[in-house]
Amino acid sequence: MAFPDVVLPESACRLRAEVRAFLDEERARGTVLGRPDSWLAGWDPDFSRRLAERGWVGMALPVEYGGAGRGFLERYVVIEELLAAGAPVSAHWVSDRQAGPSVLQHGTEEQRRFFLPRIAAGRCFFSIGMSEKGSGSDLASVATRAERTADGWRLTGTKMWTGGAHVNDYAIVLARTDDTEDRHAGLSQFIVDLRAPGVRVEPIRLMSGEHRFNAVHLDGVDVPDGMLLGQRGGGWKQVTGELAFERSGPERYLSTFPLLVSLLRELERRPATAEQLTQVGILTARLHGIRRLSLGVAAALDAGASPDTQAALVKDLGTRLESSLVDTVRGILPTPADPYATPGTHPELLAFALLHSPGYTLRGGTNEILRGIVTRGLEQHR
Amino acid sequence: MNTHTIDTSAPVISADAYDTTAFYADADSIAVVTNTTAPDAVALPSPGASTAQLLAAAQEAGRRAVPGPLAETALVARPLLRRAGLPVPDGPLGYAVAPELTIRYARPAASPVGSAGCSGDDDTLLVTGTLRRVPWARTATAVVVLATAPSGPVLFTLAPDRAVLAPGVNLAEEPRDDLHLAAVEIPAAQVRRVSPELLDEARLRAALARAALIAGAAERCVDLTVAHTTARTQFGRPLSRFQAVKQEEARLIEEAALVRAVVQAAAVPLDIGGPAAHFAVAAAKTQASASAAEIARIAHQLHGAIGITRLNPLHLATTRLWSWRDEDGDETYWAPRLARPLTATTLWPALTATP
Repeated sequence: MAFPDVVLPESACRLRAEVRAFLDEERARGTVLGRPDSWLAGWDPDFSRRLAERGWVGMALPVEYGGAGRGFLERYVVIEELLAAGAPVSAHWVSDRQAGPSVLQHGTEEQRRFFLPRIAAGRCFFSIGMSEKGSGSDLASVATRAERTADGWRLTGTKMWTGGAHVNDYAIVLARTDDTEDRHAGLSQFIVDLRAPGVRVEPIRLMSGEHRFNAVHLDGVDVPDGMLLGQRGGGWKQVTGELAFERSGPERYLSTFPLLVSLLRELERRPATAEQLTQVGILTARLHGIRRLSLGVAAALDAGASPDTQAALVKDLGTRLESSLVDTVRGILPTPADPYATPGTHPELLAFALLHSPGYTLRGGTNEILRGIVTRGLEQHR
Repeated sequence: MNTHTIDTSAPVISADAYDTTAFYADADSIAVVTNTTAPDAVALPSPGASTAQLLAAAQEAGRRAVPGPLAETALVARPLLRRAGLPVPDGPLGYAVAPELTIRYARPAASPVGSAGCSGDDDTLLVTGTLRRVPWARTATAVVVLATAPSGPVLFTLAPDRAVLAPGVNLAEEPRDDLHLAAVEIPAAQVRRVSPELLDEARLRAALARAALIAGAAERCVDLTVAHTTARTQFGRPLSRFQAVKQEEARLIEEAALVRAVVQAAAVPLDIGGPAAHFAVAAAKTQASASAAEIARIAHQLHGAIGITRLNPLHLATTRLWSWRDEDGDETYWAPRLARPLTATTLWPALTATP
């Protein structure tokens, strides 16, 4: 399986220095706190706007739509810097990663002119409305229906695990428009205004007590024709076409990186033992290797390829590391995890990362499904 | 010249082909295998090859279990000789980093405090001690030795027949010979005083060469395992159709890809040198050594009983993995050296230092 080794362009290295300077300013402001899982849990729309002012939201979108026209590898450098620093990026995360590229690729000219400049300005936040109660890994079984009306569509159904639906502006909803023999056909994507009549957002509390996810009830929500995204019946292809982008990014191995940074801060207070150093070295080597693989996928995407198998491989390796890192850190420096300890202290960060840890290997495609893709992909390459 | 070649791609290898002790006894055939342009052999890289190309060749040598010190010669011995300004001999070369050797100057300079051999009229050395488990020493035309003379670090070449050779092998039956030296004279023309950094570079080169070989053997495990699980049928369907098999096979594929990635990522830093080289190589060997057990475990488990015999070539890869993970520093050697310079503020810059 091909993974090109990547040499980042000079422009990306300059950009990295700029992002680090920006992060230093934000640390001084008290907004960047080095928290794990900040792309899921770090919601700060003002931070998102300041980032957008630098041109770092929707930065790969074309200039004519308000983007920065930067390359995919440059975007990669910006987001890995933000995640490693534990910066609060969840408000614009889906807009930046999925909604923007998706509207650019599948949207009408009108949709592009409306949404893309707002996304790039950090003023339009999206959620993903894919999963349902009966559709987790088996996404093609979605039951939400879109019925034709005189001037659009009426959506009925319930979406589950819709992150940020209670705070975001829009959701991209996958719904069945046509009953077809091939169940992958007949699905379509819609841009749904989360403030529209008939949309009811019901919190689903995580085991930590946090409110990140929701059930979004669509009780006959009217969606105008102009909000059909892409082809009627093309929903499946559009959704699966985004998977390599969704699966190979730095958020698939860096979610718990800030906990490792916290551990090193703790270890600086006392002489580290050889065993502690060995464990830190083993974690670091693995992080380094997975990052290089992830960069390889980014380079392939930048070159216009669709490295779906490689992306699944990176996500399985990366998310398993996110999860095992938490336990390894616990073993290196035994610490009782304490969710009520002072925020930002090691016991609190450990508790936070631990309570989030079962999710790392579930979200965006469970690892069992990913490993099936990896095996099939390699057999087909032979 | 003997043109003995092992076809390591064959699904079944005949008994005498893998009888490596007999095969390696003929020094000529080693050179032929590593230099031949026959379709199944790995060509020795040209002198102008980049580090990335050398690593790719070493990896291929590891994949094919090439019976000769290709990686050792191309990635370690030759570059060190060039760095030290010594001519590069033809043929397979060995290396040893041995600061523990006892070294005196053969022709001590007259000195008012007595002639203890701490400096010489020339750099001719008298060397005593043992070079342990030198890869391929019995077949090498020369062994490149890094040691500490009274004046400081030196590099010299040693013809193996100047030493008493005690043959040894690793788990894969690759030669790992001890060379006993009793006041062996090394002429000044074969000696160069070098910087202490060259000793560090020698360790890095050796570790990276070994990691590249591991990456190749890991890839061989993947090739053989996927071939086996797609071809072998049980309960009326190929093994690869069983979910339990798929899950394990994916982990094998992923672990092998990870090792390959850390090796490739060290090519540019090795040329840059300094902390970037230390980080990338320490990470590469740590990961390669740490992954070896899982790769070998899954490959054997999915092969079933045939894999633990010599009827199947899997052992060529797995015995090498088990040996190579320990050689030139195992993960408990490299991981603390990788971690020691890292702090909360330098960890991320270190991970992103190389573009």
